[in-house]
Amino acid sequence: MTVEIPIEKWAAKVREVTLGATAAQGGTRTRTVTVGGEGTLPFLSHEGSLPHSPALALEVRDRKPDDWSPLLYRAWGEAMDDPGDWAKAAEAAGADLIYLVFSSTMADGRPNTGENARSVVRKVLGATGLPLAVIGPGQAELDNELIVPAAEEAKGERVMLGICEDKNYRTIVASAMANDHLVQSKTPMDVNLSKQLVILIHDMGMPLERIIMDPTTGALGYGIEYGYSVMERLRLAALQGDTMTQQPMLVNPGEEAWKVKESKVGEGVPAVWGDWERRALAWESVTATTLLLSGADVLILRHPETLKRIRSVLDGLRAPA
Amino acid sequence: MPLTGLEIYKLLPQTNCKECGYPTCLAFAMKLAAKQAELKACPYVTDESKSKLEAASAPPIRLIELAGADGSIQVGNETVLFRHEKTFYHRPGLFLRLTDTDGVNEVKRKAAEAEGYRADYVGIALGLDGFAVEAKSGDPAAFKAAVEAVQSVSTKPLILLAGTADLAKAGLEAAAGTRPLIHAADRDNWQAMAEAAKAAKAPLAIRSDSLDELAELTSSLAQAGLEDLVLDPGVDTLYKSLFTLTSLRRLALKKSFRSLGYPIITFPGNDTLLAAEQIAKYAGMIVVDTFDPALLYALLVLRQNIYTDPQKPIQVQPGVYEINTPDKTAPVLVTTNFSITYFAVANEVEGSGWPAWLVVTDAEGMSVLTAWAAGKFDAERIAKAVKTHNIGEKVEHQKLIIPGQVAVLSGELEEELPGWQIMVGPREAVDIGSYLKAMWQR
Amino acid sequence: MSRYIATRAIRGAHAIVGEAASMLDKALSEKGADTPVSFPNTAYYLPLILGMTGREITKVGDLQSVVEQAKGLLHPVPPDRRWTPYLGETLDSGMATLLAEETIMALRFIYGLQPELMPGFALAGGTAFTSPDNGSGPSADGHLNGPIDDIQLRSWGIQLVDGRMPGFAAIVGCAKTNEVAVKIVRELQRRNILTFLSGNVNGRSIIHQLKEEGVELGYDTYTVPFGTDTESAIYALGFAVRSALTFGGMKGGQARNILLYNKNRVFAFVLALGEVDDLKYATAAGAINFGFPVIADTIIPEILPTGVTTYEHVVSMPFNEIEGADDLERAERLVQKCIEIRGVKVRVTEVPVPVPYGSAFEGEVVRKTDMRVEFGGKHSRAFEYLLMADLDEIEDGKIELVGPAFDDVPDQGAMDLGIIVKVAGRKMEKDFEPVLERQIHYFVNGASGIQHIGQRDIAWIRISHAAAEKGFNVKHFGEILHARFHAEFGSIVDKVQVTILTEPALHAEWLAKARQAYEERNVRIGSMTDESVDTFYSCTLCQSFAPNHVCMISPERLGLCGAYNWLDCKASYQINPTGPNQPIKKQTNLDPVKGYYSGVNEFALSASHQQVQEVSMYSIMENPMTACGCFECIAMVIPETNGIMVLSREDTSMSPAGMTFSTLAGMAGGGLQTPGIMGHGKFYILSPKFISADGGFKRVVWMSSILKEQMAEQLKEVAIREGDPDLIEKIADERVCTDVEGLVAYLAEKNHPAPNMPPIF
Repeated sequence: MTVEIPIEKWAAKVREVTLGATAAQGGTRTRTVTVGGEGTLPFLSHEGSLPHSPALALEVRDRKPDDWSPLLYRAWGEAMDDPGDWAKAAEAAGADLIYLVFSSTMADGRPNTGENARSVVRKVLGATGLPLAVIGPGQAELDNELIVPAAEEAKGERVMLGICEDKNYRTIVASAMANDHLVQSKTPMDVNLSKQLVILIHDMGMPLERIIMDPTTGALGYGIEYGYSVMERLRLAALQGDTMTQQPMLVNPGEEAWKVKESKVGEGVPAVWGDWERRALAWESVTATTLLLSGADVLILRHPETLKRIRSVLDGLRAPA
Repeated sequence: MPLTGLEIYKLLPQTNCKECGYPTCLAFAMKLAAKQAELKACPYVTDESKSKLEAASAPPIRLIELAGADGSIQVGNETVLFRHEKTFYHRPGLFLRLTDTDGVNEVKRKAAEAEGYRADYVGIALGLDGFAVEAKSGDPAAFKAAVEAVQSVSTKPLILLAGTADLAKAGLEAAAGTRPLIHAADRDNWQAMAEAAKAAKAPLAIRSDSLDELAELTSSLAQAGLEDLVLDPGVDTLYKSLFTLTSLRRLALKKSFRSLGYPIITFPGNDTLLAAEQIAKYAGMIVVDTFDPALLYALLVLRQNIYTDPQKPIQVQPGVYEINTPDKTAPVLVTTNFSITYFAVANEVEGSGWPAWLVVTDAEGMSVLTAWAAGKFDAERIAKAVKTHNIGEKVEHQKLIIPGQVAVLSGELEEELPGWQIMVGPREAVDIGSYLKAMWQR
Repeated sequence: MSRYIATRAIRGAHAIVGEAASMLDKALSEKGADTPVSFPNTAYYLPLILGMTGREITKVGDLQSVVEQAKGLLHPVPPDRRWTPYLGETLDSGMATLLAEETIMALRFIYGLQPELMPGFALAGGTAFTSPDNGSGPSADGHLNGPIDDIQLRSWGIQLVDGRMPGFAAIVGCAKTNEVAVKIVRELQRRNILTFLSGNVNGRSIIHQLKEEGVELGYDTYTVPFGTDTESAIYALGFAVRSALTFGGMKGGQARNILLYNKNRVFAFVLALGEVDDLKYATAAGAINFGFPVIADTIIPEILPTGVTTYEHVVSMPFNEIEGADDLERAERLVQKCIEIRGVKVRVTEVPVPVPYGSAFEGEVVRKTDMRVEFGGKHSRAFEYLLMADLDEIEDGKIELVGPAFDDVPDQGAMDLGIIVKVAGRKMEKDFEPVLERQIHYFVNGASGIQHIGQRDIAWIRISHAAAEKGFNVKHFGEILHARFHAEFGSIVDKVQVTILTEPALHAEWLAKARQAYEERNVRIGSMTDESVDTFYSCTLCQSFAPNHVCMISPERLGLCGAYNWLDCKASYQINPTGPNQPIKKQTNLDPVKGYYSGVNEFALSASHQQVQEVSMYSIMENPMTACGCFECIAMVIPETNGIMVLSREDTSMSPAGMTFSTLAGMAGGGLQTPGIMGHGKFYILSPKFISADGGFKRVVWMSSILKEQMAEQLKEVAIREGDPDLIEKIADERVCTDVEGLVAYLAEKNHPAPNMPPIF
């Protein structure tokens, strides 16, 4: 008996987006990263083209964060004291991208400033040759205050600026257009909102080749199924030809997974949760693996060991030659 | 094409006898159409109608049930490729592999340890579904002893990893009175295995790396009268598993390829991430090699999440949740029992460091705005929750913080809760910390 | 097209191109062709020339081809006898003028004549201009600004693109008085509009006027003095070109795209103050190429819409003829007019009332004991009436109280009130009046201490003691409405004027007018049919929880939540073109009885993510519309009666289907097509298209009593329409029976038509 493997034919592809610019392209990055371009569902390479592997980014902060899990402090050690060192360590750990996030306050508690953002970006650009994402703390006004100068400082480097959200995207998009950058378009786990924000950003004159959409996810146990299904739906819509859903997708399992009790803390939790460190790493890597399967093109991670594991997941998902 | 409720109604007796538990035949028909009821609940349906209805509802992937001494698990009967299309119905069974060469005592110890494992996740008890006992020794007596050892401490369903019919029989003997899965028949031993399975009325797994061969074997077995089958396509890498299991699911659902319309068993070994992939992508039973609560808990939660019905969101228990050990001066916040809403609010309050009382109302698992729109989160319900849980006695103030999205309820709520001051909180949970900082004086 | 303008612009262009040519000759002989030429601190060479021609000018010799190109764009001055010179010729002349002007300015830099020297002048915020050769060194003193540098361009560009800065004004010339000059600039600054200054009239420039009045000019004040000659206005257009290159991702030489970018995205206009000479006409013609309209405060011929700019091209507003008590008021109106003509959207962010304002206060109740005064309710009459007006007819932000305030009303007393809102906007339509009017309820409710109930002539508003003590008065309703209509409906509303009426005679008069309008609106929506339009609207607002559900909204079938009718959707689409309400072209009517339209089917397939193949607009039995969960009513077949029941959300009792509303809701919702059951809006019951494919309203055998009560009058009319005036009494409700047996008996007793109709399935 011969079983004929069913092959799905799709009408369209995900758009390709390139982060980073080398010297030849007007930047200083040693390499660029291209994501997207999929002509079929995740990793089903026997039925469509998958020109680029998903990219793995490590999150680096402008300063040592105040409230991360002790496991993360342990993993990064002194590198966290300086964003340049941290970025270097992240590059050494095997990241494809540095996802640089500004804190809302400086170490002394004062609000973060554009001047500081500028100098951090300069430092990180100097410390690593990887493409960069430059992301605000997530408060509209402060985001704009920090991202505008940071974008200027990184002019020509094709960094991804964020976070563009429904209520605050115009300034970031404008500064991305002014300085030849990309943007991250983030919407709260909803197919239509994802699409709508891409349209709005595109309407401002931003080329679609410079928009990455972040449909948002929850961590394992904290709503991952919503993010998972929204991503599956977006990807199916993209392949069926809905042009405004064809942006590569970025999600942040690192932030989500390390925010929850299961990863963050080792005390005061049920004994049946088992060993803290193994559990925490499982939490981040299971979250990340699941999201890869639903179509993630860029994953933001926090722990270097997770990065290693997801790298090997990506190897395992590649079809044997 | 599935039948609509109206089409099913025409096939029912239309007597509204109510014996099925539904008030009218039409109501029952609509439940049947939604696959939320079973035809056998109707005592009066004619044979003719029954065969028509069953033909229309025969599952593309066969439902397989394993039973232990106490407790059982069903897998298969899936109807969609993506959970958002409807839902995934039967969670894949998670089994722990135990090996007879470890010796009876060790097997027993391991089984006992895993048997008792129970983790609570939003009020749901999660645990392993059973054990896969492996006849690694090749000795029927040793295998039998190992199965007996497991049986002595466990009532869960078993998988008998027995390479020959003799081993299988030994295992089946030890597992008498239960309904284990026999693993596995292959192109060499399938006839003998089929006999053993048939005699024990146990489902049988079929092992082959080739889908062609799997299909041939299932056809042969079906002809031999064995229909409760499970497929083991021997997938050992992330890619192979994704490719093969996706192909099998598509063949069953989209091509109605009956000879491959069975649940699938996989052996990810110690690879947690391969197991995770198989939970998301189409495994029916997953056998892991090591019992490690840290990894198991993550897999169990993932399975729970992926198999949540997208149209029936997870609910948390309505009630009063204490966050950061609140006292009588702590603020009282109210939200709905939709799990994501609850998590968002609870996490933010916890993260903010504020001690607080969180009143979770029964909004039938809807988020704040949805529940409000559907009339499940109104002043009356909130007031009822505040009263039932005696919030007035837990705090010395009379202030209640409601979500900003339902500011419109504040007036009505003041009517419903005389003496209480209704404070309108932020619209998004993220802003709770800063809201409390600005608005709440200790 | 005015021959006069064409003549003057063409003449001006000839003169300036000639001047550029002779200056260039002079520079070539004095400085040599290889002398570098550039504007300071820009990577865009000479930006206008780069944008329009693609030439990267770096030395004097490069300018020759530019001047040649400018010459090529010149046309003969029209002879007196010719009456219809082409707009194209004028536009060409404008472009020639701009090329010449930029050439001239570049050459002036070589001679140290730019930025223009002005002894004693200091720029606010300094300048990035650091050429050591300009005679003043790298200081901000003693000279005007010259061109905007790239850093400033990006910083302001971001604000122009993200909307914080609504647009820019290029002012050329000299105002009537210093006082008027100051007022104009202040009005622009107040609106955050970037202002560029240049030009003069008889040697006197608005820059002189502002300097004399001590107005700070420079980057810091968003008011930049370019130069006292007309030529320096070229810097404004160089700024515009660079905006397109920087933010539009365009390349030098893509002239058409750059001009379109400016027309569509850069909200700029030229304000010509004082006499307009040939060069100003020629430069203005250049600006029109960019879609920037020109407003003059003197008498000049007008050019009304022809397509190059969005609205009018050239508008004359002779200053002394502007309505206004004094010159200051005239100046204010002049600026307002400029904004309207360019379609600049001004954002109002603050609601100027003395009480806290925000959606958090929407649900507040003002109890009788807390109340200072009420309007409407039992003891007085309040009404709200919003109507559309012409742009010229009303004044934005004008809030008028006609009649007494409530000071003399005793505590907890009542008084009559009318709120008349007039809105004007280029995209406003009469059909949007009721849509906007209904917003009054939400807007007014947002104020702390104010309670608003109802609408139209059953509005009922209370002001609390607390609010009154903080100084809240009736005029503040106007402030709220002005601010909120701009904020929420800016895309269709340009002007909002509010009149608060308490004067009895006028109140009565306007109430009558309002009632007439309400009636007309009722008739209008009542008389609209699905056949009379070619477009329905979708609503996918609920897809966040019912991911495959899409509401199809037609004139005769409102949204199932009851909140959106066809007109609402139409307006919503205008306001938010990417939002949840999208137009659906009906296209082919595949089945007029069941209501299948090819356009609706296609839209359903795509918006339901391939889950719903077909939607019948008028049937519950075959491919009925899906539902989310927000429906006001559930209709369901009762097979035993050959009819349907309609159950209201507000009815919690048992229904003859054997289930209550909440149980049935689970079956009807979730975005699935379930023939035999359907969620819908309350008013759909009254529509002639209510399940018309299945026999229509006569199929209704049972209906929640609350629906019968709420719509008693309308239902009576429906019964008459259906040819059975007693039909409503034949329909059972939960007071009659909640079971099938009782229902069947009741229908037989009352002789309801449904059991005798053709089988429903």
